[in-house]
Amino acid sequence: MRRALDALKEYFGDFAHAVAKGDVWTKLSLLIMGSGFFARGQILKGALVTLLEAGFVTAMGFSGKYVSKLGTLGTVQREEKLDLTTLMKTVNDYDNSLLILLCGIIGILLVFAFILLYIGNVKAAYRLQKRKEEGKPISGEVNELINDKFHVTLLSLPSLGIILVNIIPILFMVCIAFTNYDIDHQPPTYLFTWVGFENFKALFTSSTTVTFGYVFIRILLWTLVWAVLATFTTYFGGILLAKFINDRRTKCKKLWRTLFVVTIAIPQFVTLLLVGKMFSDYGIVNSFCSKIGLTAFLQNIGLVSEGLSYIPFLSKPGWAYVMVVLINIWVGVPYQMLSATGILMNIPQDQLESAKLDGASERQIFWKITMPYMFFVTGPSLITALIANINNFNVIYLLTSDYVTSSMKFANSNAKEVDLLITWLFTLTNDYSNYKMASVIGICVFIICAALTLVSFSRMIAGNREEEFQS
Amino acid sequence: MKKKLISLLLASTMAVSLLSGCGSSAENASGQEEEVTTDAEGEGGDTAAEESDAAASGSSDAISNLIAATEGTVDLTLWCSETEAYQTVMAELVDDFKKTYPDVDFNITIGVESDANCKDDVLADVEAAADLFVLPDDQLLDLVKAGALQSVDATYTYDPAATNAASTVEAASVDGTLYAYPMTASNGYFLFYDKNALSEEDVASWDNLLAAAEAQGKTVGMEVSGAWYLYGFFAGAGLDMYMNEDGKNVCNWNATDTKYTGADVALAISELCKNSAMKNCVNEDAQAFALNGEMIADVNGTWATSAFQEAYGDGYAAVKLPTFTVNGDQVQMGSFAGYKFIGVNAYSKNPGWAMLLAEFLTNEASQTKIGIATGEGPSNLVAASSSEIASAPALAALAQQSEYANLQRVGDNYWGPAATLGESLVEGNYLDIQTLLDEAVEGITQ
Amino acid sequence: MKKKMDAVLRHVFLALLAFVWLIPIIWLFVTSLSSYKGINTMHFFPTKWSFDNYIRLFFRPDTVANFPAWFTNSLLIGVFCCLISTAFVLMVAYAMSCMRFKGRKALMSFSIILGMFPGVLSMIAIYFVMKLLGLTNSMIGLIIIYSAGSGLGYLICKGFFDTLPVSLRESAKLEGASELTIFTRIVIPLSKPMIVYTVINSFLSPWMDFVMAKLMIRSKDPSDWTVAMGLYNLVQKTLVGEYFSLFCAGGIIVAIPISVLFVVMQRFYVEGVTGGAVKG
Repeated sequence: MRRALDALKEYFGDFAHAVAKGDVWTKLSLLIMGSGFFARGQILKGALVTLLEAGFVTAMGFSGKYVSKLGTLGTVQREEKLDLTTLMKTVNDYDNSLLILLCGIIGILLVFAFILLYIGNVKAAYRLQKRKEEGKPISGEVNELINDKFHVTLLSLPSLGIILVNIIPILFMVCIAFTNYDIDHQPPTYLFTWVGFENFKALFTSSTTVTFGYVFIRILLWTLVWAVLATFTTYFGGILLAKFINDRRTKCKKLWRTLFVVTIAIPQFVTLLLVGKMFSDYGIVNSFCSKIGLTAFLQNIGLVSEGLSYIPFLSKPGWAYVMVVLINIWVGVPYQMLSATGILMNIPQDQLESAKLDGASERQIFWKITMPYMFFVTGPSLITALIANINNFNVIYLLTSDYVTSSMKFANSNAKEVDLLITWLFTLTNDYSNYKMASVIGICVFIICAALTLVSFSRMIAGNREEEFQS
Repeated sequence: MKKKLISLLLASTMAVSLLSGCGSSAENASGQEEEVTTDAEGEGGDTAAEESDAAASGSSDAISNLIAATEGTVDLTLWCSETEAYQTVMAELVDDFKKTYPDVDFNITIGVESDANCKDDVLADVEAAADLFVLPDDQLLDLVKAGALQSVDATYTYDPAATNAASTVEAASVDGTLYAYPMTASNGYFLFYDKNALSEEDVASWDNLLAAAEAQGKTVGMEVSGAWYLYGFFAGAGLDMYMNEDGKNVCNWNATDTKYTGADVALAISELCKNSAMKNCVNEDAQAFALNGEMIADVNGTWATSAFQEAYGDGYAAVKLPTFTVNGDQVQMGSFAGYKFIGVNAYSKNPGWAMLLAEFLTNEASQTKIGIATGEGPSNLVAASSSEIASAPALAALAQQSEYANLQRVGDNYWGPAATLGESLVEGNYLDIQTLLDEAVEGITQ
Repeated sequence: MKKKMDAVLRHVFLALLAFVWLIPIIWLFVTSLSSYKGINTMHFFPTKWSFDNYIRLFFRPDTVANFPAWFTNSLLIGVFCCLISTAFVLMVAYAMSCMRFKGRKALMSFSIILGMFPGVLSMIAIYFVMKLLGLTNSMIGLIIIYSAGSGLGYLICKGFFDTLPVSLRESAKLEGASELTIFTRIVIPLSKPMIVYTVINSFLSPWMDFVMAKLMIRSKDPSDWTVAMGLYNLVQKTLVGEYFSLFCAGGIIVAIPISVLFVVMQRFYVEGVTGGAVKG
């Protein structure tokens, strides 16, 4: 905290110093940002910052009115009047809460970016001035951009993209969680406004009819169970299959590998929809099962309830839980097999040889050498896979679209037992326009994922390993 | 609340100033003001009856005013069902529309949009949605709630209230304001059957129907676990389920003091589903079963007509829903009466032309053409009684059933819990039928 | 003898497994050759074979299915996404791996956290951002959406760059090469597997995604859709009875460009997936 404050003090101190000690060009760059650069012959840079300044001023002219309305998110509701004698319509100058929020966020981001640029610019002008005073050469600007400042060149476009499609939308959705944007407050016709923590309260309270709390806990648990199951089944399945195929006793390795990889070639949503249809209540698998008497058998041992004439593969909680995991194995194992094959080929042979010489059994080698190596190499990607499975929209959404819940509590919150948090929030927004609750759920997902990652990635972020590799 | 009031007042004064700006009569302006200040929800539209009367008398003036004021090309988009039949007939009608107004340059595009997704797609971004779209009646309320539909304050070429049944107009209205142009009145359900396998007596009651099917080793289909179909049983037994003014559902399916109690009806449904000939299945499965000869009757709607025609061949027939046994009595099943409307987007850039096109597409001649092309029954009473249309078995069955059909006016909270109730009854996996109903009603009325 | 038994068992087991994995694919294939348009729920193999679905797919576009247009759209988007994404990933990875600058670690942590936010949720916001830019309903908008955020996926590639010997870069620097020269002349030629991996991943995204595309492409004219959108639409409740076998045929055809890409690049793909993580 202290250090951050000091850094901040230094940051602004430098700025004040630059302003105080700057010559006329440096001072002029307070007004026309490029002047400092122009004076020292860095025309390109000067032009660029001046253009940015002009761009900012026009952008603020556009988004300024939105920023000023951020506090209320708009007050004038849309009123329209159709003149019945001319069939022409007049509409008042109404506020659109959604646009106000979005443009407001963009405006605030712009202001921040501009302040940083502004201060940095004056400092840079001052630095140039000092260099000139000290008689040091001023390096060419193009040269700078492909050498010391090459990272700026490299990162600017990708960052812009990320700000556009990641940061702005995320900020927007986080804000929605604190508003009452739902089916009764839909822009552009109606306004929504800030409600503070109301929605979070609703998520953690449960009554007989408001079942968000109960359903949230249930779905959260299933999401976590699913993520762990889905990740580890495909992970180990993939490794075992790769090991099996790569074994020296297996003939035609390429052929086997290709047979499994064929399933990857067809887009996932096609295969998922197809498998979903195969296992539907009156699908081909069910007609096969009833033909060979499996359905009747399962009914006898109580796995299928008496009232059903089919096996509810994807339409009853218990069955569906198992089936989505199995189908996910079907979808995911070939991918894992492919990458595991590569890793297995890269296992340091000397270790294997020496273990063999020491008389280790195959099993011992697998658990003592192969698996630790796999874990070491794939550890980070395992976490990524876990996160990806928490957010695995396709598998659940495409397989369980016909699912009807038989629990009133779930039905009352527009959820299903097999929903993951991610599919639940999709239903809430898409079918019920309940953006406020969806945002709250989204934030919860985010917190869970972020916590998981921070714990496991902390070592990687710390970057201890990268230097070690680069030696 | 105070803030809201102020904003409403502000808005109303603004509306008044806007109106005086475009030179409307003082009466209109005062009517508007009253509407805005009294209508706390601010529905946006108004229906002052005097106004539409006044407009009707000057309707030709209004159109010529509009033509005079139109400059350049008028761009309109129309979303309607994806089937080939719909697309073709709509394209023809749009051409006819262009010919009606030869002085105006139109650019009308027809997009494919399945009816079921209409609401979701429109609400995702109203401003980017089509100017006109075909919507099933159950989506009307949500669209009105979001302010996406232009209210029909006046019509210029015909009067929907005079050409349609009162119930149809009511279905297209919210709080007495008409929000869409009725197009078809055949979105309900009835019974398709194979008359080579079943007699008229058989299809009169579920008991006979299932007995006959069972005897032949065939099945009868109905999506009992679908909330839309399930309603038929409870409504038939005189139990209530509708939405009141404040948007909440009213439902007494758990009643114990009615002639037939909720539990009686639920028990009856549960009994029906225990019959091995009864198959709880959705439309697509039912069509497949009918085509492979396994299913000889199914509760379904006009969208399945061609499939059942193909499946049953010369045995193809349709009839009103059968009766079912409650407490030993035969009770006629009720149903939802379903309609399709054409709605005009409140955010359309050319509201005038969009409204005129909507009128054109729903007038008697157009409805007849649509009816013939698609097999759906017109809402226009004259068109509906024309010989080509009234003779279709499916539409005749719907007409028979209409006596027992109710207007579908239900809140969103109905669908989930009711489907779950149906699912539980089909499976029979409940402990106590009254508790089940109580929970369902609680969910529906939340 | 035991060894032989073992080998036979091993192969039988593999064959069984492969069979399970291939059943849906076989079903997809045979259904695409069925003359019955809906889902055949009774028989695995079609009762009547016909090649009509493929002809219908390519030469008889109707009001809901316009496969040739979908295919071209997806191909275009795929190619552009490939180019942009690959460039972005390489650029970010190089900056993060080979350069040292203030705030680098903070940026890295930040980028990881950013990747955690559920994408489905921010869809509607992305839609309105694109609308502000006037890019909804256009191929360009979709290309931007699929590739703009790709910089975030630099981690694997950075891992790969980390394994390249530093000495290589340092000696080049001593000879007076700029960072740009090192990037384009030394690092990129060495990272072929990484490029292949990124190319495959970014090429596939427009073929797989139907949710985002459905939201972005508001046009209701089938010729403006992508393959994923169009095929997904074919199995919606109202259409599936008429179009299921066509959907299957479409699925088979879509597999062709993807398979070609795979076959050409499979060798690199295996290296690419693992290369980033394996010690150099």
